Amino acid sequence: MRLFLSGLRKLVRRPATFVTGGILAGLTVLIIIAIGASANQTTRPEGQAARLIITFPGAYTQILSFVLGIGGLFAVIYGAAVAGSEWNWGTLKAAVARGESRSRYMLTSFAAIGVVIAVGVLIVYGVGVVAGLIGAKIAGVSITGLGDSATLSSLPRLLARGWLGVVEEGAIGFAVATLARSQLAGIGAGIGLYFAETFARVFLPDIMKYLPFDAATAAVGGGGSFGNGGSRLVHLPADTALLVAAAWLVGSLIVVALFTERAEITG
Amino acid sequence: MTEGLALATRDLRKSYGSRLALDGLNLSVPSGVVYGFLGPNGAGKTTTMRLLTGLIHPDAGSIELLGRPFGREDRHRLFEVGALVETPSFYPFLSGRENLRALGASGAPSSRTRIEELLELVDLADRARDKVSGYSLGMKQRLGIAAALLSDPQLLLLDEPANGLDPAGIVAMRETLRRLAASGKTVFVSSHILGEVQVMVDVVGIITAGRLVREGPIKELLSDEGIVKVRVAQDELERAVMALVPLTGPELISRSGDGWLSVRIAPQRSVEVNRALAQAGIYASAISAGSDLEGLFLELTGGEDREPAA
Repeated sequence: MRLFLSGLRKLVRRPATFVTGGILAGLTVLIIIAIGASANQTTRPEGQAARLIITFPGAYTQILSFVLGIGGLFAVIYGAAVAGSEWNWGTLKAAVARGESRSRYMLTSFAAIGVVIAVGVLIVYGVGVVAGLIGAKIAGVSITGLGDSATLSSLPRLLARGWLGVVEEGAIGFAVATLARSQLAGIGAGIGLYFAETFARVFLPDIMKYLPFDAATAAVGGGGSFGNGGSRLVHLPADTALLVAAAWLVGSLIVVALFTERAEITG
Repeated sequence: MTEGLALATRDLRKSYGSRLALDGLNLSVPSGVVYGFLGPNGAGKTTTMRLLTGLIHPDAGSIELLGRPFGREDRHRLFEVGALVETPSFYPFLSGRENLRALGASGAPSSRTRIEELLELVDLADRARDKVSGYSLGMKQRLGIAAALLSDPQLLLLDEPANGLDPAGIVAMRETLRRLAASGKTVFVSSHILGEVQVMVDVVGIITAGRLVREGPIKELLSDEGIVKVRVAQDELERAVMALVPLTGPELISRSGDGWLSVRIAPQRSVEVNRALAQAGIYASAISAGSDLEGLFLELTGGEDREPAA
């Protein structure tokens, strides 16, 4: 427990935590308000689509999909940054030399990341909803659906599913950086994998729907808005996607644990 | 195999690919001493440190820490060991105090009181709230020594602990390590600063090409490796050599161009050197006696200096 709490304290003090969360929140606000501004153009089809995004109660799930979609990319980067720095800064080495279990150290570090991601998703989602209200105000869209009880009651379940998906994506970045033993290489490879899968799913949808980023997006149902690729794409059913995402999460952490246990720490 | 020993290795071997880093290393480190582990770059010092702290694993051979075997499954043995391996490792965005707390959360438990004591000990109490990214190399090194002492270890493994320290810091570190040894703890220090080692350690081990080539109490090694220098007139050099040959044999006497003769003999026998010269009617204009770890080191290692093994 002390290792987990220490991991949490480290992440709270870490500039990368605030930079990642800040950029994600900033992008969310900018894009949603831009959507609100463009929703004024009611005579164009794009304007009609934009109105749907900021019209409550549908806006709740639209904004959540957006936050989880783009949040996945940030989670990959964040996971890779945290894992890679343990190797780059030699802090894993220092802990191992004190007799700490290698796999326990890395897994508790990731558990702390999971908590930070949960808090981050909640905050950014809250900011996104506020931005949605502002966007609706700009577009002159009614917000009477804001208190829709059916949508509000489904939000905790959707947030929990989304959190698991984003944590799975963070685990992919964490595993890649662990294998690379490097912060930069981990971030680079993690981003590369994210976009490679995004583009590859256009051509190989039947295979790609089982891959980590697609499964994470599909786990909330309906897919995310970032890199969704269009309506022709096939996603797994939400419950199946959730199981696949959980499998990727567990698999990534097993890779981290096995690799760290066997690695020769020479840096 | 290790009664009375804090640390022992037997036939320790380690390769990195095709390159042999350790070739049957046999160390015997007695309890309660400061042990100096010397060797040229690439001799295998850091590889040994990594093996002793479980960062890497040997291809063959065995390690005993504090009288008990240390293998892959024995990480708990390190709860009684403090280590500073290579450069000090810290989170740059945390303060010195926070780094010690973070490190204290892993391995053996350590208290907040202990952290404050150590910050005082390494003279960082005033800067304990500053981020480590703003620390100088010497400050990081001192924090690294504090980190190694965090769990009040019985065995301390320090890799080049004087790196980056200013003269006052080196003296303080030396006094700290001597004090620890006096309290019954064992300090294993790898270093290439021979002058520092000579005044600090009780026992020395010299490694080259992955093998231990000499080990023993430093006083004994240096008495074997004593040197007496005498200065005589240039035209009396030949006669002086002849007068000294009965004491040491010709192979232990060397001459330099400026009238100095170097005689490899225990320093306390300098009076015999002086007497032999006087009996031959030669009066030295200068005489000095001492021991030379550097000479011993260069003799044993062949003065080699390779690229680091790892």
